[in-house]
Amino acid sequence: MKPLRSDHLAAWSRTFAVQGSWNYATMVGTGVAYALLPLLRRIYAGDPVRLRESVEQAMRPFNGHPYLCAMAVAALGRLEQDDVDPATIEKFRLALRGPLGTVGDRAVWGQWRPVCALVGILSFLLGASPGWSVAVFLALYNVGHIAVRVWAYVTGWQAGLEVGRLLKGAWLERWTERIWPLNILLTGTVTLVLADVVVEQSALPLEPAALLGMGAVVVLLAFRFPRQGGRLAAVLLVIAPLLWLLGGLVG
Amino acid sequence: MSWSELYLGPGTWILAVLGGGLLGMDAVSWPQVMVSRPLVSATVGGWLLGNPAAGMLVGAVLEVYALRHPPFGAAKYPDTGPAGLVAGASFAASGGTAMGALLLSVALGWALGWIGTVTVHVRRRLNERIMSPADELAADPGLLEQRHRVAIWLDGLRGAILVAAFLVPSVLIVTLSVGTGPSSLGRYAVASLVLGLAASAGAAGRSSAFGVRGWPLILVGAGLGVLLVLGGLT
Repeated sequence: MKPLRSDHLAAWSRTFAVQGSWNYATMVGTGVAYALLPLLRRIYAGDPVRLRESVEQAMRPFNGHPYLCAMAVAALGRLEQDDVDPATIEKFRLALRGPLGTVGDRAVWGQWRPVCALVGILSFLLGASPGWSVAVFLALYNVGHIAVRVWAYVTGWQAGLEVGRLLKGAWLERWTERIWPLNILLTGTVTLVLADVVVEQSALPLEPAALLGMGAVVVLLAFRFPRQGGRLAAVLLVIAPLLWLLGGLVG
Repeated sequence: MSWSELYLGPGTWILAVLGGGLLGMDAVSWPQVMVSRPLVSATVGGWLLGNPAAGMLVGAVLEVYALRHPPFGAAKYPDTGPAGLVAGASFAASGGTAMGALLLSVALGWALGWIGTVTVHVRRRLNERIMSPADELAADPGLLEQRHRVAIWLDGLRGAILVAAFLVPSVLIVTLSVGTGPSSLGRYAVASLVLGLAASAGAAGRSSAFGVRGWPLILVGAGLGVLLVLGGLT
């Protein structure tokens, strides 16, 4: 049977929980099966054997960006509806894993989320209320989030086996290439303004020029050697309160 | 600040624990709308203790630190939902102005974030058991749905336990530190946090740029920040 609109809505809404049972054995596989169930139940209504086989296959190890898993869920549902043989579906699943992870990670975790968070922080630092700044972040981020999930699901269902080809060079990748300069620019701006707020709050006699110069050197070194830069950041974060408390003890 | 001035009654604690459950779920399990980001969770923590602006300042610092930990592939990253709430609440409880309290809140939040990561690992191992045996679950899709939902609730429980266990100790530690005034080492402590932010921003910028290109942009961005500060817009 062909899935109804309500089945699609149920499957799409379940993709929000696709990582709910993430584990090291099947990764997101069990979540994909959970999201796919409303479609499979309709397609294999009255055929418990085929339903069981399809659920078993859907539960196998799978990974991908959680938002783009909507594409995998819809495409797998489409293949089941078109009665594609299980061996082809398995090959398709394996082929889809890599691109779904890479494209989604780069676009959403790598660019969109940081940009939205930085806009939220900047609005707060520029005087907006905390509630407003949080609302700006959540609204901006989730407009993109929901759009990606809807696009992924619709594309997956319409394209079926062709979805891998469509994913390569899709708007998400082009958009990632365009947005990264804004991300870096905002990172620099927010960090500097935030540092200024922290220094102002301390009301201590710090040398702004010296701190700015050292900050610039540290930023560039961390950019060149990110792993070491990250470790340095963590060490400095721990040292800061220890120095403050030590100073209080020794007077 | 005296203990009687500290507003952390049972009602606030229960709300915080429930909030921790929701924030704990959001990062991975459901619905991933990013209320688990420190920017949001620390503000919620601050709001619960009566000072959302204090919470948000802590959240902003933690957010810049968290930027260099995108959850790419098998990368490990701090679980900032419950941690942000605890850190934001702790700074807000201290009055939201003392620098020592800010430094301590951020460091405690960061440490709790990594403790949260350990609990995420444990939960994922537990999920392996919950979601097996595969043939039994495939034979009964209703059972598969039930187990999947149990796994999500367990993630919420994990977040709630983290807040329940760490909120009161963290608030007490940070509030005690308020009495520690600035000293000769104070400016080095603040400089340490500022340079830590710079190091974190540099590392985050590199992961955003997918390579060494783009480094001048971070300096241009900082230049814009200087203009904003000098222009009195902050």
